[in-house]
Amino acid sequence: MTREEVVNKILSIFEEEFEIINPGLDDDLREVHEFDSIDAIELLIEIENFLDTELTQDEKKAAMGIRTINDICDYIMALATNNTEPEL
Amino acid sequence: MKRRVVITAASAITPIGHSKKDIIHSLSNGVSGVKKIRSDNLLTRYIHSGVFGTVDYEIDFDFKRLYRKTMGPVAFYACQVAKEALAQSGLQPEFITSGRLGVAFGSTHGSPTVQREIYGKFFSGSRDGFSTIGAVDYLKSMVHTTAVNITKMFGITGRVISSSTACTTSSQSIGFGYETVKFGLQDAMLCGGADEYDTTTVAVFDNLLACSTGFNDTPHRTPRPFDEDRDGLVVGEGAGAVLLEEYESAKKRGAVILAEVIGFACNNNGGDLILPNVNGITQTLRIALRDAGIRPDEVDFISAHATATKMGDVIEAKAIHAVYGENSPYVTGLKGYMGHTMGSCGAIETILTLYMMEQGVIAPTLNLENIDERCAMIRHATKLVEHPIRIAAIQNFAFGGVNTCLLIKKL
Repeated sequence: MTREEVVNKILSIFEEEFEIINPGLDDDLREVHEFDSIDAIELLIEIENFLDTELTQDEKKAAMGIRTINDICDYIMALATNNTEPEL
Repeated sequence: MKRRVVITAASAITPIGHSKKDIIHSLSNGVSGVKKIRSDNLLTRYIHSGVFGTVDYEIDFDFKRLYRKTMGPVAFYACQVAKEALAQSGLQPEFITSGRLGVAFGSTHGSPTVQREIYGKFFSGSRDGFSTIGAVDYLKSMVHTTAVNITKMFGITGRVISSSTACTTSSQSIGFGYETVKFGLQDAMLCGGADEYDTTTVAVFDNLLACSTGFNDTPHRTPRPFDEDRDGLVVGEGAGAVLLEEYESAKKRGAVILAEVIGFACNNNGGDLILPNVNGITQTLRIALRDAGIRPDEVDFISAHATATKMGDVIEAKAIHAVYGENSPYVTGLKGYMGHTMGSCGAIETILTLYMMEQGVIAPTLNLENIDERCAMIRHATKLVEHPIRIAAIQNFAFGGVNTCLLIKKL
């Protein structure tokens, strides 16, 4: 999964689920697009569906500081990397 | 401190119309809003009653997603009538968000549509189902969803009262709102109630043998308040909102005053949670008159609760007779037009009374063809009459033995 694919998927989720079309990647989502704590929880469900995995409570709590689309993409890339690390 | 309280805006979504013009047309022409019940793929096939007071016209809910995302159907209704009442009132955003305006708004049990979806997921036995319960599902379904979606949409920061007392939900909203302004706790209150299309409520009343079942093929002929052939209530949907303001400030800002709220009573029968109680109801009507400081003969019109159940209508007629004597005011059971709009009925019936007050007419009880002799001791409105209404009483009674009576006066 490339970062470009993640960005495109997130932008598509924002358009379809949150009616936020083409947000700037560094826009403060709360300030610019009225994206609130309720939306953040809904987004986590979308991310679980996207990654086809269930996030732990700690992973969900780690997402609460996210402010921008780029933050979201960083978060997803990190999750994807962690989930594909080979077991030692 | 006791201040005068006036109504400066009103809006309703009802089975007989949304605009004042449509509602007055329905009341004036005997148009019923009772239709065949819709299938919900769940319960309707088992329900004996096949009728529902239905809002079957399109409503242009122009709400941003920011607001829609926490709203079930009941909150859509509530926010729409709240929006229309606030617009009609002419109150400025600075006042609306100042903390001087509060909200008293409720519903019977939040959004049963959303609750059914949630429990469907719970009982699916699937972990996937559980994980799809959304962050907003509770906000959409909770009992005070109407009140707080209104506060969110309009930035209202005053106190919130969210009654949920079944059929007295919105009459309590208006009554408690009236007292809140009267005693100086808020300068204005946006009050009302809403309930959405819901077959689970029908199922409950159906099991209690309280629903109309004999007119499933002719829905417009039921309910039949005070009629010999009445066979029970018809559950309905709708919403109503009124804006209450302190009289002097309303007058000062040049607001259109629809009526003054002059009295309110709320009590409980103190016993059976289902059966109506003539002593409890009689007391309610007397307390309201005492609160208003008026005599019974000063009341021109009574909007009766009159659900068209066998016993309820008789008990209410006896209570009216006990309080008002041989020369009762005109009495209309407005549920004949709409069915029982549950948590919204008190507000809707208040608004319909305001409309009749403005027009100088009294609509008859729809479907009242042969008055039950046990209800015949009061003065029923059996045809549309031109009759000034200076003071009106709006009566509502609920499961749980809760009774309310509002008194409003034309200025």
